[in-house]
Amino acid sequence: MSATTHAFAPRPGERAAQAARFARLRRGVQLRYVLLALPAVAFLAVFYGYPVAAMLLRAFNDPAWGTENFRPLTTLTRDIDVFGFSVPGNAYLRVFGITLQIAIVTTLATLLLAYPVAYVLAAIRPSRANLLMILVLIPFWTSILVRSYAWMVLLGREGTINRVLMGLGILDEPAKLLNTRLAVYVGMIHILLPFMILPLYAVMRGIDRNLLRAAENLGGRPWDVFRRVFLPLSLPGIGAGCLLVFILALGFYITPALLGGQRDVMISVLIAQQVTLIKWGFASALALVLLLVALVIYVVFSRILGVERLYGGTRA
Amino acid sequence: MTDHGRDQDRIEEQARRRSALRRSMLWDVEMLTRRELLRRGGRVTLGVGAAGALFASGFQIGSAQEASPAAGATQLPQITSIPETLKGSGEVVVVSYGGAFQDAQREAYFKPFEQLSGIKVIEAEGPDTAKVKAMVDTGNVGWDVAEFDRSDVINLSELGDYWEKMDYSLFDTANIDNERLHELAVDMLAYSWILAYRTDVFTEAPQGWKDFWDTEKFPGPRTMTAGSGGLSPNLEFALIADGVAPGELYPIDIDRAFESLDGIRESVVKFWEAGAVPAQMLTDREAVLGVAWNGRIAAVQAQGAPVDIQWNEGMLTTDTWAVPKGAKNKENAMKFAAFITRPEPQARLSMLIPYGFVNKEAAELIPPDRLAILPTAPELLGKQFIRDVEWWSENNDDVAERWNEWILG
Repeated sequence: MSATTHAFAPRPGERAAQAARFARLRRGVQLRYVLLALPAVAFLAVFYGYPVAAMLLRAFNDPAWGTENFRPLTTLTRDIDVFGFSVPGNAYLRVFGITLQIAIVTTLATLLLAYPVAYVLAAIRPSRANLLMILVLIPFWTSILVRSYAWMVLLGREGTINRVLMGLGILDEPAKLLNTRLAVYVGMIHILLPFMILPLYAVMRGIDRNLLRAAENLGGRPWDVFRRVFLPLSLPGIGAGCLLVFILALGFYITPALLGGQRDVMISVLIAQQVTLIKWGFASALALVLLLVALVIYVVFSRILGVERLYGGTRA
Repeated sequence: MTDHGRDQDRIEEQARRRSALRRSMLWDVEMLTRRELLRRGGRVTLGVGAAGALFASGFQIGSAQEASPAAGATQLPQITSIPETLKGSGEVVVVSYGGAFQDAQREAYFKPFEQLSGIKVIEAEGPDTAKVKAMVDTGNVGWDVAEFDRSDVINLSELGDYWEKMDYSLFDTANIDNERLHELAVDMLAYSWILAYRTDVFTEAPQGWKDFWDTEKFPGPRTMTAGSGGLSPNLEFALIADGVAPGELYPIDIDRAFESLDGIRESVVKFWEAGAVPAQMLTDREAVLGVAWNGRIAAVQAQGAPVDIQWNEGMLTTDTWAVPKGAKNKENAMKFAAFITRPEPQARLSMLIPYGFVNKEAAELIPPDRLAILPTAPELLGKQFIRDVEWWSENNDDVAERWNEWILG
């Protein structure tokens, strides 16, 4: 703007008029954008925003106004274990702790498995990548329920894995695989893997290969080229993938219920329990806390890893 | 054929049956929404083998199939007429638990009711008192009559006016005990929580819950009911194992029951929320002893699983049917409820699935060999105790809270 005013050097009165015209123009453009987005915003407000807000409001007004519904969460009854530290808490906080831990471990493990796969997919010819992508997507299209049951069949005491290990003489008696935390991780990682591979692949495909060649020409060893060029450029994909997987993992319900052991209780199970007991206020309070946790993590992630770049944002 | 060859054949036969069972379970599981699965999956999937096979075979009479619990069901009692008061027009929305269970209800109840009353039955799945509350609160009641555990009906009634009063003037209650007829619901289907065990693991049957708790005499992994997912934990069984007589269980000493559960906890590989789970665990030998619903076990027995029921100290309970307040077809809902408590529909269902009836006249329509395996058979009735629904409706919340503390402890 300042450059424009210098070049034309208008008189003061004209300058004000011009500024007003620009402002009007900008408002017009903005208004047009708002109009374009309006149908979707209105739809979301009516069919998503209002119901969610009405539901969350119950945390404060069902059965009576106040913060009574949060009392079970803030009443400390005993020490709980949070990542190895013993802190005062209660059963509900412990379930939040378990939920977070399962979500974090699942996200990290999924990232470790998905990154090399996405790397390969992005490096090979697109026609071959599409073929391999089908292998990623086929399980993605199968019902979660069926896949969880399939893991029950594989991991069971007399399941395929135990039978093979015993047949090979590696085990003398069946190992306890099903109904353990390990089984929960295996099932969840399997289900969530495509959600990590897809955003990673999308970002890696967009990385300019000439940058890698330039780095090699400048004498970078393969590891350095990866660490200092490819990895930083793939960060938005890591951020988006981790975010997707983490938030989906927070809400997992059926897989931990089917594959988990006694203490693998996730927060969604607790919320469902309160809904069936018709304690909707407390259920909403639990949902609200879960939502806040997810939001905080979203903000932190997008600050650190620049997730918005994936959606076309420009911030580095 | 050598002994070895015969063994081989038997093993292959078992493997074949097991995979068939697993397939049918998967199929059944797909029929469910995840919530229904976790809440009440058990009774939904009952009789995949029994009823399911029956429907598939088109009710062939005298087929050479192995004796299944539903074998006697090839000749269902026919219904030729109903009282004029039960006839009408329009429709009625009936909500049950889906899957093979609802298939059986369709044969036993829905089809004859439609034919004889002129009222069209529209089926829905997944009864849920939380949904009823939401429907009544918003004035948008889409269900006319649905099947529940009565403690859920009582719980909701305490929050407000959520149920229609049952209109017993339409019912023929001559052969139904008064305890079955409640103001807001009518008992309809008796089933039992029983001890199930692997017959190939234990040559001597466990005699009751003391044996279930005895991990030295009966070693091996167990499965019991969870206190979440709309279910109640097995406090009654815990007290019996601790020496309380089945007649003196209520009011339940909650502290003592959880202490007793402490004693078995390490041997329980899974506390289940879905009725499909214990049946599958026993079939796969994931557990060798378990708490299960009798219909589920009958279904896996029909598929050849070496699992049996110990009726001693089983817990008998009843599902009820209730009409949400403001149901659009309230009159038709009452007629439907009155119809299915009549002897013929009651007998038809018990012949399709080994669950009990509430109309005593139904007994005369069921063959003796079938009658003997229903949870309400006189011989089995004496072995069981009756679940105190009122106690549970009063203490559901407290027990759930206790359960959450206990399971994470």
